[in-house]
Amino acid sequence: MENSPPLVELIDVSKRFGRFIAVDNANFSLAKGSVLTILGPSGCGKTTLLRMIAGFESPTSGEIRINGEPVQAVPPYRRSIGMVFQNLALFPHMTAGENVTYPLKMRRFPPQDIPELVERYLGIVRLTGMKDRRIHELSGGQQQRVAIARALSFNPDLLLLDEPLSALDKKLREEMQLEFRRIQQKIGVTTINVTHDQREALVMSDEIIVMADGAIQQSADPVSLYRHPSNMFVASFIGLTSLVKGTVVQTEGTTVEFNVDSTILCGNAGSRFEVGQSVEGAIRAEQVRIHPEQTRPEEMDNVLEGVVSEQIFEGDRMVYQVQCPSLGSTPIFVFDHDPTHHVLHRKGDSVVLSWNVRDLLVYPCR
Amino acid sequence: MTSVKQSSHFPIKWRLLDAAERVAALVWPRQLHSYTGYLLLVPALLLVFVLVIGLIYIGGYSLHELDLANYRLKESFSLTNYYTAVTSTTYRTVVLRSLYGSFLVTVITIFLAFPYAYLMVRAREAMTRKFLLISLFLPFFIGQIVRAYGWLIILGKEGLLNNIVTFFGFSPLELIYNYPAVILGLIQYMLPFAVLLLAPAITAINRDMELASESLGAHWIQTFIHIVLPMAKPGLIGSSVVVFTLTLTDFAMPEILGGGTTDFIANSIYDGFFQLSNSGLGAALSMILVTLGTAFVVVIFSIAGTGTLGFSRRSK
Repeated sequence: MENSPPLVELIDVSKRFGRFIAVDNANFSLAKGSVLTILGPSGCGKTTLLRMIAGFESPTSGEIRINGEPVQAVPPYRRSIGMVFQNLALFPHMTAGENVTYPLKMRRFPPQDIPELVERYLGIVRLTGMKDRRIHELSGGQQQRVAIARALSFNPDLLLLDEPLSALDKKLREEMQLEFRRIQQKIGVTTINVTHDQREALVMSDEIIVMADGAIQQSADPVSLYRHPSNMFVASFIGLTSLVKGTVVQTEGTTVEFNVDSTILCGNAGSRFEVGQSVEGAIRAEQVRIHPEQTRPEEMDNVLEGVVSEQIFEGDRMVYQVQCPSLGSTPIFVFDHDPTHHVLHRKGDSVVLSWNVRDLLVYPCR
Repeated sequence: MTSVKQSSHFPIKWRLLDAAERVAALVWPRQLHSYTGYLLLVPALLLVFVLVIGLIYIGGYSLHELDLANYRLKESFSLTNYYTAVTSTTYRTVVLRSLYGSFLVTVITIFLAFPYAYLMVRAREAMTRKFLLISLFLPFFIGQIVRAYGWLIILGKEGLLNNIVTFFGFSPLELIYNYPAVILGLIQYMLPFAVLLLAPAITAINRDMELASESLGAHWIQTFIHIVLPMAKPGLIGSSVVVFTLTLTDFAMPEILGGGTTDFIANSIYDGFFQLSNSGLGAALSMILVTLGTAFVVVIFSIAGTGTLGFSRRSK
């Protein structure tokens, strides 16, 4: 696996539309059989990147290689790539079965093999017996499944997913995420998924690339991406994160002390800082402990007093927004960890917040 | 309803509108509001009604034979006019020529209009789209007769084209007063209608459908045949019906570019009324034309649906 050449390779790929830079110098490679998710907000260039790999757009500069071969001159219909579109793009004048048959006919599969392959792939997406249904007779989830079967039936080298789940409701979306994972693992097809949904990225992928403003911000596996975001954008885009701005007063090893409004916070620095430099600290809501006013948390490095300004009940957890006078106007978000003996903090209650140095990540100001 | 508290603080516009509303309530009480939509149909119904009256009168004329003694229609009813129209080889030729011409014009026009409409919808540059739209509409504003004379200027014996031909030492060509000239004129006249009816159907096809087809292994010709054409079916039906019926009933192009050599049905009807003074025969020919046109539309609609002309609710 390590020795085989990467299936997909992007080398300094850029795409400009007039003056607008949609993709700025993207580099990555993808090993056979893995699932990559390109995560980013709308307009970050992730879909353009996907469309270049599919062959619908050509890069302004740089090179895309598939199976080690440059593909600039290869039209989409000659690439072995299955794609599931955001709007699915199922052919409404055909049945589910005919949709799945279409690529097999276009790619000249032996006619005697086609019915069996169609049955097989409809089976894989659990749509056995739905072959003769018209597209508009299927539910949203069933249409997703047809689109997946159609993109996979000709056994492509690469599967591209362009946010196909974004239109579904939350429950169905989460169900389909697991379903995708199941199908991908069963078939082992190399997949590139594009989404703005961080949960989807974390659930579905072996590797995540975070993009913003056309540029790749970080490329890592889900756990390291979540634990060690390499910059402020990644830290704030994934998870519920509170941000505090300040000025460095002292550095010691990886620990950096910085002044925020009327207090000094201790954080974990990813890079070297100068005293006096402007920095931003990011702390995830689940890393912050919340206590009633009278208790003094032990073995915590940062301890702050504050007042609950919002209390949001999310069913499986309680989210607090706490205003700390010593931090100025910046609110801190907290997930309540203690579901067994709920200590409810009401709006207006005085509380104490605390967290460990290693959980407060410090980045240079952008 | 609760009465609205009168306030002199309201702007004058509001008070005027309130007064207008009260007057309207007297004329058209609230209980009748659910029928307001039907009220809007009245002008259209009146218009159709006038047409139907005309059709009934024409139908009436067609059943009276011309009395050659005094050049008036006889009092007695007979089917003589229809008998004449159907048995006369002249009229049979005219009817067949019109039908064949309409078929030819429809096929060629759609063939030319489809790429035009496709390009107009899909062109990336806004300028290209605007250019195509304007060049489509420009001749649209010029009347049919002016355009027919335009063709005479180009194709006539001393016309532009023949000037070039004679310049190179060839003898001038017979380019007008024949069937191809009529067909050419009609195609040019019908093209904008066809494009305008095709464009919405092509707009309705999501570009991703074509990209999906390509990524599934189809090159553009296959994509066109298997995806674009079937999905543009409503537009194809709509524009075919319009072009066919407009051509079938056309008068000016056969008259001017045909020069009396290639009459369509409408020209024969005109001759019946005004050259032969036989309004009975003209009326019979009119009834035949109406029947042919209606039959065509009914057949197409029952086979293929109403297309973009039906504004069908179940559109995908």
